[in-house]
Amino acid sequence: MSEQPHAAHDDHGDHGHGDVNPFVQHHYDDAKHQFDSGKFGIWLFLAQEVLFFSALFVAYILYRSHHPEIYAYAHKYLDTKMGAINTAVLIFSSLTAAWAVRAAQLRQQKLLLACLATTIACACTFLVVKYFEYTHKVHEHILFGTKFDPCVSSNDTPLATKLNLCPGTKTTIESREIVDDQKAHVLQVTGGCFPNVAIDADTTTPGVQANCKVYEVRGKLKKDKDAGGKEIFTLVETPGSRKDVTNRCRDPWNEGLAEEGVETVEIDGKKEEPEKFPCWKPSFQPAVCKTGWFFPWTCEGGKCERSTGGEGPFDSLAECSSKRNDAESKLKGLGKATVGECARGGASAILVDYNDKEERESPTLEEEGVKIVTDCTGATSVGAPDYFKATPPAPLAVGKKTTSSRRDLTEHEKHEKEHNLLYSGPPPEHTSMFFTIYFAMTGLHGIHVLIGIFVFIWLLIRATKGHFTPDYFGPIDFAALYWHIVDLIWIFLFPLLYLIH
Amino acid sequence: MATTRRTEVNDGPVNEPDFYQVSKGIKSWLTTLDHKRIGLMYLFAIMGSLIIGGVFALLVRTELFFPGKTIVDQNTYNKFFTLHGAVMVFLVIIPGIPAALGNIIMPIQLGAPDVAFPKLNLMSFYFWVAGALLLVGAVPFGGLDTGWTLYTPYSLKSETPVLVATSGVFLLGFSSIFTGVNFLVTIHKFRPQGMGWFQMPLNIWAIYATAIMQVLATPVLGITVLLLSVERFAHIGIFDPTLGGDPVLFQHFFWFYSHPAVYIMIIPAMGVISEILSTFSRKPIFGYRFIAYSSVSLALLSFLVWGHHMFVSGQSRLANMVFSALTFSVGIPAAIKVFNWVATLYKGDIRLKTPMLYALGFLLIFTIGGLTGLFLGILSVDVHLHDTYFVVAHFHYVMMGSTLVAFLAAMHHWWPKFTGKMYGEAVARACSIGVFFGFNLTFLPQFVMGSRGMPRRYWDYDPMYTTFHQVSTIGAFVLGISMFISIVNLLVSFKTGRRAPRNPWGGSSLEWQAPTPPPLYNFENPPVLHEIYNYDDLVEVEEDRWERRAPIEVKATEAPGDAHAHAKPADPVPPPPADIADKAVARAEKAADEATSAVVKATEEVKAAETAAKAAEEAKAAEAPKAVEAPAEKADEKKEGDK
Repeated sequence: MSEQPHAAHDDHGDHGHGDVNPFVQHHYDDAKHQFDSGKFGIWLFLAQEVLFFSALFVAYILYRSHHPEIYAYAHKYLDTKMGAINTAVLIFSSLTAAWAVRAAQLRQQKLLLACLATTIACACTFLVVKYFEYTHKVHEHILFGTKFDPCVSSNDTPLATKLNLCPGTKTTIESREIVDDQKAHVLQVTGGCFPNVAIDADTTTPGVQANCKVYEVRGKLKKDKDAGGKEIFTLVETPGSRKDVTNRCRDPWNEGLAEEGVETVEIDGKKEEPEKFPCWKPSFQPAVCKTGWFFPWTCEGGKCERSTGGEGPFDSLAECSSKRNDAESKLKGLGKATVGECARGGASAILVDYNDKEERESPTLEEEGVKIVTDCTGATSVGAPDYFKATPPAPLAVGKKTTSSRRDLTEHEKHEKEHNLLYSGPPPEHTSMFFTIYFAMTGLHGIHVLIGIFVFIWLLIRATKGHFTPDYFGPIDFAALYWHIVDLIWIFLFPLLYLIH
Repeated sequence: MATTRRTEVNDGPVNEPDFYQVSKGIKSWLTTLDHKRIGLMYLFAIMGSLIIGGVFALLVRTELFFPGKTIVDQNTYNKFFTLHGAVMVFLVIIPGIPAALGNIIMPIQLGAPDVAFPKLNLMSFYFWVAGALLLVGAVPFGGLDTGWTLYTPYSLKSETPVLVATSGVFLLGFSSIFTGVNFLVTIHKFRPQGMGWFQMPLNIWAIYATAIMQVLATPVLGITVLLLSVERFAHIGIFDPTLGGDPVLFQHFFWFYSHPAVYIMIIPAMGVISEILSTFSRKPIFGYRFIAYSSVSLALLSFLVWGHHMFVSGQSRLANMVFSALTFSVGIPAAIKVFNWVATLYKGDIRLKTPMLYALGFLLIFTIGGLTGLFLGILSVDVHLHDTYFVVAHFHYVMMGSTLVAFLAAMHHWWPKFTGKMYGEAVARACSIGVFFGFNLTFLPQFVMGSRGMPRRYWDYDPMYTTFHQVSTIGAFVLGISMFISIVNLLVSFKTGRRAPRNPWGGSSLEWQAPTPPPLYNFENPPVLHEIYNYDDLVEVEEDRWERRAPIEVKATEAPGDAHAHAKPADPVPPPPADIADKAVARAEKAADEATSAVVKATEEVKAAETAAKAAEEAKAAEAPKAVEAPAEKADEKKEGDK
C-alpha cells in the first residue's frame, strides 16, 4: 500500500518511524490512545469472564441451598492443604505479574524478565498441584455423574462400590443376567438381604450398588427340570403385578439399622456389632432387612458352599429361625458346617425395603411367588452391566476371611469418627453433583491458568527482545489484569469448595 | 483535534483507491483487517445463511399445508424447524445488523478509521465462520431435532448431533462477545473530538446498547452450551435429572442469554429505523435523548425478564409475578421509541424511497409484535397461549418482521455507500411491499390459530386449522420470494447499478461525507461535524444527490493557518509522492521541535496542494466538483499509510 492520508485519528501513527513506538498501530492517534483502548477492552473482557463463570457460581449456590448435606459431606474429600498451597502460589504470582508491569514502566529489564518467569513458574506449580489432586480423585473414583463411585467415604473409610474398581472392596452378589427381547439387561437378584457392606472392606460381604429400577414381581411358580434333570422353579410373572419398589428406602441420616434386641450380627461365625448405616438413596440404595435373613448354602456333588447372597427376608425372626434350622439340618445330614444365625439389619445395595411389604412372601415352593427384579436399562450408563461382568469372589471356606478386616483407625480418626459419624457412612444422595460442580469450576479455572501460561510465555519472549518500554507496556498490563481475575476466581473457589463447615 | 471547520467537501474528487481496489485477490480479503471488508464478508455469509434458514422455513410451511404428512415425516419435520430456528437466530438475526452492517457502517458513522481492534474483529469473523460451519454441519450428520432452544433433558438424549451444534453455538457466542467488546471500545475511544455522547447518531447508540448485552449476556450462553456439551460427552449430571441435575436450570441459563439476545436482535433494528425515519422525513428525530436512553434502558431491562419464558416451567409464583411485572416495564422504552418515531414523521417531508418503505412497514409490524408481547406477559393468558402459534407469531413479528425488515431497510439505505452502486429502485420498492404483505399474510393467521389452541412445533394438526395454515404458507412464499428478489436486485446492482453519489439520501451523519465507496481508512479528510439530524443545509441537487450548500460556521478555536500536512495534489491517480512525503516528514520532524515554523511550512504545503487541486480540476471535466479544501489540522505528518 502506498502512503495513505489517514482520517481523523491517525495523524501520529508513524509506522516504524523514529522515536515513535513501532508497536502503535496506525489507526490509533498515539501510544496513549492505543493503551487506553486496550485497557478498556480488557476490562470489558474481564466483565465477560465474570459472567462466564457466574453460571457455575449460580449452580453452586442453587445446589448448595437445596442439598447442604452434600456439601457438608463431600468437601471433606478435598485436600485443604493442597488448596491452600495453590491459593498462596496464585496470590504470589499475582504480585509478580503486577510487579512485571511496574518493571516495564521503569524500564527495569532484568526485573521484568524475572517477574514474568516467576509468574509462569507459579502458574505451572498451580497446575502440578492440581494434577495431583485430580489424579487422586480419579484413582479413588471421586468423580462426577455416573463416574462417582468412591472407594472411601469422605473421612477415608472404605466403601463398597458400584463398579468394583477399588482394590480390597470387591463386592458382589450372585445374579444372573437375562437378556430379554425388550430390555438390554434384566437382572434377577437371587438374594434379597445382605449384611452391611458400606463400612466394611471385607470382601466376604457382598453388595450391589447399581442404579437400577427395582421391581417386585408376583407370579406363579412353575416347576421345571433343567438339562441335568434337576428340579428348578421359575416364576411366571402375573401381568400387571410388577410394582416399582425403587427407592423404598429409609431416609434418616443416622438411623441405625440395628433393631431392638439385636446386639450382634454374625458374620462367618464371628459376632460383630451391627454398624450404624445411614440409608443411601438413589444411586446407592440399600435394602433394610428387619425381619431376619441368613446365608444359605448350596450343595452340589457333595460339596457345599456358602452362598454369597443372603436369603430372606422372612416375615418374622421366628420364621427365619425355622428356615435356618431346616437348612442347617440338611447340611448336618451332609456332615457340613453350621449355618449362621439369623441376622437382622444389614443392607443390600439394591434398594428394597422389605419393611413395607404386606403380603410378600419369598419365592418358595408355594404356588404364589414374589421375586425382585432389577431393570437396569436406564442405568447402563452408570455401569450396571460392568458390575455384573465383574467376577464374583470365589466362595469361601467356612470360617475364613479373604482379607484382613478394616484397618485400624488412629486416635485422631477415632475422634473424628465419633464426632462425624456422618463422614464415615456412604455419601448422601447426589453427592456426585458436588464433584460435577467442583470439576466444572476448577477445570474451567485450570484452563484459564493454562491460557495464562501461554500468554506469559509470549510476553517473556517479547520481553527478551526488549519490546516493552515505559511507552509501550500495554500487553503486560492487560495480561496482569487477566491474571488477577484468574487469581480472584480461585480466591472465591477455595473457600467455597474446600472450606465448608 | 482542531475544531475549526470551514465548508464541507461534499463530493470532491477521490484521490485514494476505494477499499475494493486498495488490494486485490482472495488472500487480501481473507486476511484483511479492514472493518468494511470484514463486514462485507459477514454480510455475504449471513445472506447465505438467510437463504438456508429461509429454505427450511418454506419447507416447514409446505409440510404444514395439509394436516398429516404433506412432504416429510415427523422426525424430518423436527429437524426442519430446529435448523430453521437455529440458523435464523444464531447465524442471521443476531449477527445480521450488529456484526455485518455494524461493522461496515458504524466506524464510518463515528468518523473513525477502523474499529479499535481490527485483528480481534477478523478473529470474530473466523469464529463466526467456524461456528456457522459446525451449526450447519449438523445437517450432513443427520440434522438437529431439539429445537433451537436445546432444552434439556431432551437435548441430552437426542440422537442427533447436538455436540456439533453446541460447539458451533459456543464459537458463535464468542464471536458475538468479541464483536461487542470491539464496538464498545470503538464507540468509547474513537469518537472524534466534538462528538459527545449526545451528538452520536442513534444507530450508534443502538449498537452501543447491543454491545453491552453481547458482552454481558453471551458468556452465560457460552458456559451453558459448554456444560451441555460436557454433559453429553461425559455425563457430568448438571442438567440431567437422572443424575441429580436440574434441567430447569438450563432453561434459566439459556433464557438469561436468550432474552437479551432477542434485544440484541431488535435494538440495532431500532437504531437503523431511527436513522432512516429521520433522514427520509427530512426532520430532526423527535426526542433524541429519549430514544438514546430507551435503547440503553431496554438493554438493562433485558437482563431482568428472562423468567417470562418459563411461566409454566415450575417457577415459584412470586418469581412469576416479578417477571411478569418487569416484562410490562419493557413496554415503556419500546413505546417511547414508537411514539418518537411517529412524532418524527409528523409534518415531515416524507420521501417514500425503499428504505423508508421498509421502515414504515417496520413501525406497523413492530407495534403489533410489541403489543402481543404484553398479552404473553400476563400470567393467566400466558398459560393458555404458551407454546402455541400465538407465541410463534409474536416472536416472528419482533424477530423476523421487525429485525429482518430493518435489516433490509439498512441494506437498502447503506448499500450505495459501501458498494458505490445504486440499486434498481422500482424493483426494490415492489419487493418491500411484497415483504410487508407476505409477512402479515404469514403470521396474522398464526395469531388466530394460536389463540384457538394450535400448539407450536406440531407436525400434524386438527383440520379446523387447515385454512389458517394454508394462508400462512402462501404468505410465507410471497415473503420468501420478495426477499429473494430484493437480495438479487441488490446483488445485480454490483454489475449494472449506476455509480452512487456520496450522499444519495441527504443523510446528515458522517458516513455520507466519506467517499463512495470509502477508501481504506474511510475518510480522505477528517469529516466535518455538523449538528446531528439537522437537514437545513442539505439540498437535493438532482435526484439521489444531496449536497450541503450553506455549511454551518463553527467558531475557530485554533489558528486558522494550521494544516493537515497530508493534503496531496488532487490527481485522481496520484503519482507515488515519495519525495513530497519525505520532505513532509522532514518538515514534520522539525515541527515536533518548533511548532510555529511547522505550522507555517505546512500551510505553505496546503496552499500548494490547493493550487494543484484546482489546476487538476480545471483541466478535468466540467462535472468535477469543488476543490479539495484541506481542513485545518495539526501539523503532524505521516510517512506511511500501511505496511
